[in-house]
Amino acid sequence: MLYLLIAFIVLLLVVTGNRGISLLLGLGINLIAIVALLILIADGFNVVITTLIISVIILIVAIYMNVENGATANISFKTSLIIMVVILLITIPILYWSSTQGMGVEDQEELEGFSLAAGVSYPQLAIATIVVNSLGVISETSVAITSGLHEIVLNKPTLTSKEVFSDGFTVGNKILSTQTNTLLFNFFSTTFPLFFLMNTLGFKFSDIINDKLFGAEFLTTVICTIGVILTVPITAYQVVHESREKIKPETDKQ
Amino acid sequence: MNFLKRRWVQVVIVAALVLVATVATYFDSTLYKKPIVQIENVKNVSKDKNTDEYKNTDYQIVQHVSGHFANTSKKGQRVTITNSYLQSQLSDERYKPHQQVFVLKSSKNRYTIQSTKRDAVLVFTIGLVLILLFCMKFTRGKLLTSVLINLVIFYGYMQFLIKSHNSLLVILTVITAILIAAVALLVILGPTQDALMAFASTFIATAVALLLSVFLLQLSNNSGIHFEMTPFDLQPYFGVFISQVIFSVLGVILDETMDISSSLIEMKQEVTDVTKQTLFKSGMVIGRELVGPLINILLFIVFAENLNLVMLYLTNGNSVGYTLDMTLSLGVTQLLISAIGIVLTVPITSFIASRMVARRKI
Repeated sequence: MLYLLIAFIVLLLVVTGNRGISLLLGLGINLIAIVALLILIADGFNVVITTLIISVIILIVAIYMNVENGATANISFKTSLIIMVVILLITIPILYWSSTQGMGVEDQEELEGFSLAAGVSYPQLAIATIVVNSLGVISETSVAITSGLHEIVLNKPTLTSKEVFSDGFTVGNKILSTQTNTLLFNFFSTTFPLFFLMNTLGFKFSDIINDKLFGAEFLTTVICTIGVILTVPITAYQVVHESREKIKPETDKQ
Repeated sequence: MNFLKRRWVQVVIVAALVLVATVATYFDSTLYKKPIVQIENVKNVSKDKNTDEYKNTDYQIVQHVSGHFANTSKKGQRVTITNSYLQSQLSDERYKPHQQVFVLKSSKNRYTIQSTKRDAVLVFTIGLVLILLFCMKFTRGKLLTSVLINLVIFYGYMQFLIKSHNSLLVILTVITAILIAAVALLVILGPTQDALMAFASTFIATAVALLLSVFLLQLSNNSGIHFEMTPFDLQPYFGVFISQVIFSVLGVILDETMDISSSLIEMKQEVTDVTKQTLFKSGMVIGRELVGPLINILLFIVFAENLNLVMLYLTNGNSVGYTLDMTLSLGVTQLLISAIGIVLTVPITSFIASRMVARRKI
């Protein structure tokens, strides 16, 4: 693993030059933030609140250290925060309904020898899982749409709010497709061992669609997709709002 | 027909359909052969403090769950079941009113709850996505087709995998990855030269990253990586691991190659006599911006997936170092291989795209 790490750092520095150092720094901070999250939760801090605080830190690092344009970074950060709250509001009732927390019958072997009375709230941890899972896709999506829209607004400052909004969807379409692919392929990556095991255990279709682990993976993928979809209008709305405010004082002067 | 084209009419229709589908799945108990109980009342009987050997405090709660059978010949009959769970709910559950549960007969007139019926909530969540898509001006057709085709391919992959008893795992994964990448590119870019360009770059970058990583792993004799921690102990460990890496990194690399190659094509359209050196350099500049966010995506996904296991280890008296080593060494290795792929994609795509775009006449 050490060789892999060295290879990664060398390649990163060769390909990205000076930026590589700030990229590494950003990744390092995020890594520390996540490990801190794990330790705090294990120490008994409230899972959801701790996750929210750490997620804000992660979003600041992920957005402000990767985006050089200040205006783009501000809008992306605001959008990501809004989406994070929306995801939380969707996730809580859905997970209350689905009870897909913790581990399933498929994990029985792994659980042997462990004390299960650990005091950590696994229903809350399930919420944290979805929020953390979404952070990367959400920040990437909002940055991509904001910078795409900024470019359009800069080139054609005469666009009306409505036109900017519909441009947002044109930009958003491609991003939505690629992010859905990323999420879907990651769903494949985590579920193919699960499906294989289910077959060995003799699961039928009706068992699969009611299974806890399958449900958890399914809901994670779908709720993250909802987050990506909602990013598009929220970003577009903010770009419209911002460009209007910028244009107003200029027209007043003339 | 004009009436049907209005957006709000479509949204209302889709919302109604989703509602009907969700309610129908909620009440579909008669389709199941296993007995299902519809929970009406839940009463907590006792709550005992429980301290384990690692001084974790938890509560063992016993609840009386009463309801009626929703299917089988006993339909309508009332039943009360005793359920005991730990407040942390790692592997057991607190049952709530209005939930439906599969039950097993343990002795005469005594039942135990086996698992929860979750089909309706899955239908509802998928429905939520559809409603949102119809609320907004997205090109839904393309997106849904690509997801459906990919799901069919994945289903075929699972069937072959099961029939071959996992012996052809890596070959099957590579074929599947090629297919789903091709579908994704064809749907997003259409059958164009751009798609071919992105496909070639994706394929080469992923292959180079994987071969290099496998070589480096062999060089260090896989030291420090707990392949035996592969999900569900599925064998062959290394094959399962590599297949997971391929699926997980494919989406982001596709994203990257499409971004770089489409920007270069745009550049060529604006400046027709642009040289391949200039194109290559711009490709590198664009790519550099993408590396950080794309690695972040996988970083959070890898950590989120292992949250439960990490917590289990940490709360069982293991040190942070040991926990991370056991639970995340596979995930971090997967992340490193993916990151190498993401970085390598930048020069590889810039090279391929600059050659192909420069030669093109517009």
